[in-house]
Amino acid sequence: MEEKKKLWGFETKQVVFAAIGAALYAVLAIATNMLQLPGAGNVSIRPAVAIPMFFGVAFGPIVGFITGFVGNILADLLSGYGFWLWWDLGNGLLGLIPGLIYPTIESYRASKSIWKAEIFVVLGALVGMGLASLSEMWVSGADINTVIFANFLPAFISDIINGLILVPLLMIAYAAIVERSGRD
Amino acid sequence: MLVSWRYKYRNSPMDHIDPRARWIFSFAFLIAATSTWNWMFLLTYFIIALIWYRLGNTTWKETRSGWRLVLFMLFMMIVINTIITGGGAGGVVPPGGQLVWPNGFNLFGKTVHFGLTIERLWFAICQILRVLGISMNFILIPYTMDARSYGATFSSLGMPDKLAYTTELAIRFIPSLARNFSVTMDAQRARGFELDDIKGGIFSKIGRMAPLMIPVTMNAILSSEDIADAMDLRGFGQGKRTWLYELRYHRWDYVVLGFSAILIIGGLVASYVLHLGGFVVPQFFYNLFA
Repeated sequence: MEEKKKLWGFETKQVVFAAIGAALYAVLAIATNMLQLPGAGNVSIRPAVAIPMFFGVAFGPIVGFITGFVGNILADLLSGYGFWLWWDLGNGLLGLIPGLIYPTIESYRASKSIWKAEIFVVLGALVGMGLASLSEMWVSGADINTVIFANFLPAFISDIINGLILVPLLMIAYAAIVERSGRD
Repeated sequence: MLVSWRYKYRNSPMDHIDPRARWIFSFAFLIAATSTWNWMFLLTYFIIALIWYRLGNTTWKETRSGWRLVLFMLFMMIVINTIITGGGAGGVVPPGGQLVWPNGFNLFGKTVHFGLTIERLWFAICQILRVLGISMNFILIPYTMDARSYGATFSSLGMPDKLAYTTELAIRFIPSLARNFSVTMDAQRARGFELDDIKGGIFSKIGRMAPLMIPVTMNAILSSEDIADAMDLRGFGQGKRTWLYELRYHRWDYVVLGFSAILIIGGLVASYVLHLGGFVVPQFFYNLFA
């Protein structure tokens, strides 16, 4: 009998998926730092943001959140960028919000599931990068124009492009594993 | 791909401070520094941060990647906030004010009228003090805190055991995942896949990453099932965890904790009870433009 998916479950399996996801996000973020966004200085394209989004969709919101939150902390620690809690929380939300559709997904290859994931990927990037950018108003005293043009837009646009392209590809590849191994 | 932690033991004063005391100090500093725009407080915090940063004995060469990021963000903030938009600077600087160049200035023979005010310029200096002070606290962490201590530290600071263990486990997975990434990259290169110099626009660049990301991700997911089973068989999550990395407070840690308490209580009382934290431009700064 198929086990019912719990939205907020965090058992041993989820601990391991979250840890794997966070480590993967950190490694891929560093590996893909070479792809810089033209004209936006230090902002890299970072295709790795698709990892917390996909882990949220595949394993639930807590796994998605930890993948983004801890993964971003580790990536920054490995790159020597320091520790920026508000951007780590924003990255956590990138994974948590797509994770809200986790219990509703029956097939990862169905176009309905992919559309749902795409919508929540955009929402996740909007809320996650919005929160992280707005926190700069509190921390740095930046005004709303600076927050929108220097912080939010470069991060939001690159995150949704990455998410919209890579999350469906990861979902289809994961569907093949699910079907082959019989896991849920 | 070489993935290595930035931490190394330097026998610096920072190496002898308990990681829990360091996190508490850094967050106390963050809260105190973000509660005020008064330049005297910000200057004091900046000096405290500078002393704290010096305790780490790090070099510019080691920390420059972090500083480049901070300086870029700071530059964007100052240029857009102070010079281009001239907005309300987060509602801190009142509208109006005294112009830096009331009669304009000469640029290539033409008189340029520019709306930069003394108040906005002073606000930019306060922003620099605040952001650099906070950055000095947090940039230091990767270089001076052992990655093995994170799980035990977060657990001891009240984070749920499962979450702290996830952090610990993620740190341990990094070398093997980096190795898997290298193997996959070599395998794709052997098939003629170009990875070093991906041509084309953003969409094609991202699309070209898929043959790398998908196998690495799927392999990691497949192996995680066995790890979870092994952990379940050993009774993971059944009781309180113990940690290999042992943490113990020393006398100087209590000094750091006491100082953190003074910093946060003093900062909040000064700002919200005594109302001393407001933005003010000192007279000497006005005199510079008289």
